Amino acid sequence: MPPEILEEVEDSAQSSPFTRRTQKVRSFFSIPAPVKTLFDQVPILTYPANHLPQRAPKPSRIPTLYVFAREGDAPAGRPSFNPSCLKWQTFLNIAGINHRLISSNNHASPAGRLPFLLPSASTSTSESIQPVWSNKFVRYAAEHGGRVYESPSMRYEAYQSLLDHRILNAWLELCFLTPQKLYNLYLDPNNFSAVAYPLYISPVSSNPLVRASIAHQLRTAAETELLKHTSIIDTDDLYSEADKALEALSILLGEDPWFFGNEKPALFDASMMDSDGRRRNCVER
Amino acid sequence: MNWAEAHHGSNLLSFENQLEGWPLLLILRIMKLFESLRKPETEKAAARAKELEDRERAYYLKAQQRLGELIGDNSTLPVTINSIRLIGGANTRRTFLDRLFNPLLSANRDTPYTLAEALHEVGDVTRKLSKFAFVGRPDPIDPNSTPTDIDLFFKVRERGRISLKTGTDLGNVEGSAYGNLTWRNIFGGAESLNINASAGTRTKSAYLATFGTPILSNPDKRLAVDVLASATSKPWASHDEALKGAGVKYTFGTGSSQHQIGYTGVWRQIGMLAGNASPTVREDAGDSVKSSISHTWIFDQRNHPFLPNRGYLMKTISEIAGWGPLKGDVAFWKSEIETSAAVPIPIPGIVGDSGVSLTGGIRAGLLYPLPVGFGSTSQPSRINDRFTLGGPTDIRGFKMAGLGPHDGADAVGGDIYTAGSLNLLMPIPRVGKDTPLRFQVFANAGRLLALKNNEERGGKGSKAAQKDFYGSIAQLGDGLPSMAAGFGIVYAHPVARFELNFALPLIMRRGEEGRKGLQFGVGINFL
Repeated sequence: MPPEILEEVEDSAQSSPFTRRTQKVRSFFSIPAPVKTLFDQVPILTYPANHLPQRAPKPSRIPTLYVFAREGDAPAGRPSFNPSCLKWQTFLNIAGINHRLISSNNHASPAGRLPFLLPSASTSTSESIQPVWSNKFVRYAAEHGGRVYESPSMRYEAYQSLLDHRILNAWLELCFLTPQKLYNLYLDPNNFSAVAYPLYISPVSSNPLVRASIAHQLRTAAETELLKHTSIIDTDDLYSEADKALEALSILLGEDPWFFGNEKPALFDASMMDSDGRRRNCVER
Repeated sequence: MNWAEAHHGSNLLSFENQLEGWPLLLILRIMKLFESLRKPETEKAAARAKELEDRERAYYLKAQQRLGELIGDNSTLPVTINSIRLIGGANTRRTFLDRLFNPLLSANRDTPYTLAEALHEVGDVTRKLSKFAFVGRPDPIDPNSTPTDIDLFFKVRERGRISLKTGTDLGNVEGSAYGNLTWRNIFGGAESLNINASAGTRTKSAYLATFGTPILSNPDKRLAVDVLASATSKPWASHDEALKGAGVKYTFGTGSSQHQIGYTGVWRQIGMLAGNASPTVREDAGDSVKSSISHTWIFDQRNHPFLPNRGYLMKTISEIAGWGPLKGDVAFWKSEIETSAAVPIPIPGIVGDSGVSLTGGIRAGLLYPLPVGFGSTSQPSRINDRFTLGGPTDIRGFKMAGLGPHDGADAVGGDIYTAGSLNLLMPIPRVGKDTPLRFQVFANAGRLLALKNNEERGGKGSKAAQKDFYGSIAQLGDGLPSMAAGFGIVYAHPVARFELNFALPLIMRRGEEGRKGLQFGVGINFL
């Protein structure tokens, strides 16, 4: 806009005639006083707000965690079937962040995947509520009085140097579990129809064409993800990698109730819920 | 307004959005247009042209009168149509033409013609021919040796079979580029295939392919099959909606009364949510399939589609989705009714049409949730099925979808609405009443409500749902409706109506978004 440019130029000039002209330009583009008084007087009458539609979630005083969940599981607060959601759900529970669950899908998420946390309207300072993605959960929990005093990331780093890279290896192995899980759920035809289909595809739509399309999309995405780590998808290799990782974790845990000899569970233990879900898939097979 | 126009208009409808930062270029263009309207042509030339026109008209009238007398004298004369010849029309199928012309031939009729009857029938066929995009006109009847025998000649010119069109459109905050391919008379029976692709700022992409064909060579009965894919941004509710679908439509009716019955199956995906999208919008994010049957009836008696000063319009839209064998993911019954009327207002001292007119319109709609398939629990409505209200083409003085329930900044739509508008249109001094320009003073009001949640009151069955429904309808009368008033300029362009208004919202609900000051609207269907 020309007036803005004018203002910028004249501000830098810092001379009084210019400033006066700027004000003139500004006053020309601003609302004239009589119109402004008129604007201030309307609306003459304001009624209370309209009520929200039936599907709108009820407002809550506690934050909302959006997860994948079976019908009826979310209101009851039961664990999510999705490993990543389960991990963060567990983390929030361990941290003592009181929250409610809403069954959702990736389209609802700002980052395109679940889980994410929507702070309650009352705790948020600004009017619009910005969602918190899972990589900020630890900070969010710490800021909102959660029990994260044994900062998991710090302990994790300490142990990493102390324990001869064992944890690091276990973590790496865990990373390999991701393709493992993907393999299990999406590519193996039996698991696909028995586990992935009813959990991830059936709830999307009742229409067979839409389901077929979504199923195809998911399988292609899983395959692409797997091929990022390896050039060929070798079933036995994937499973043996997973076995090794679990063994390493088992050794790490030993006879302790929680990892790293903690007295209380932490994020790493929450992650274990995630891998436990994956392990169960392996056992099923 | 015939269907073709209505159809064309539906494309335009998608541009009917609110002006936030109105492009200066267009304003300039409109101003130029005003100037050109005011610019007087050289008066002498105008007078001469008028004289010529008058003389021509008088001649034509006389000729017509003579012909009328001739026909009138001989109207009861028995005639037989001996042969019909079609000149032109190389690409048109014989069977298609047979269906048109066979009923004309005397050999195929039980009773003989009188001249008047024959002329009437020929006129009817001509109308049909021209409707098929042929330019048709019967040549002068050529009497044969037998006094009652006549031969008919039809001279037609087929329109280009394939036409390709590209261009750009500019609407409210919407700019788009489009490409359009039309293939006419594909199988020689006035079938057409129309492929339209566009990309824009609000309708991010849209692809539409329509195959249409007349039924039994009758242009008044058309069957169309369409396939569509589109992605549209809905900033008033912080999301994008992607559609993929297909449908079948059957259009029939004559003159001012048109019906359309159709089936549509569409896969909708709500995604690309804004960071601050409200919980209500997040709840509805994801996929859903709508499988629905709809009926639209339009009865249009107005003397102009965009700027009428006489006549009335009735329109009803009914849709049933998901219920019984329709399946899908959403189920509801949806009804909408729209009426509008215009009356000229005589001004004392002005002889004839004063150019001043009063137009009024009322719209109402409701969405009644139904159980999907053969289930028993009815499905609450989703954001993409609910109504929105507000904006420069319906309730002026409010932002796009500015009325009704709002969750935070998001307009989440409602299940029941009523809206009404009253406009007084006056010719602009020194521009005159014969131009498509008017000055208007208006007041419009509306109410958009969501159905109440029945679970809150403990009831769950269909009885409770019914009670809630009637309760919500009764609520429409609570307090005064949200209202705005203002004045502005209306310009009726041949393809759309443009309005530039100064409006003030007078009555609102908390959360509703009014728009004080200037507001620009483009559309074909104004309230």
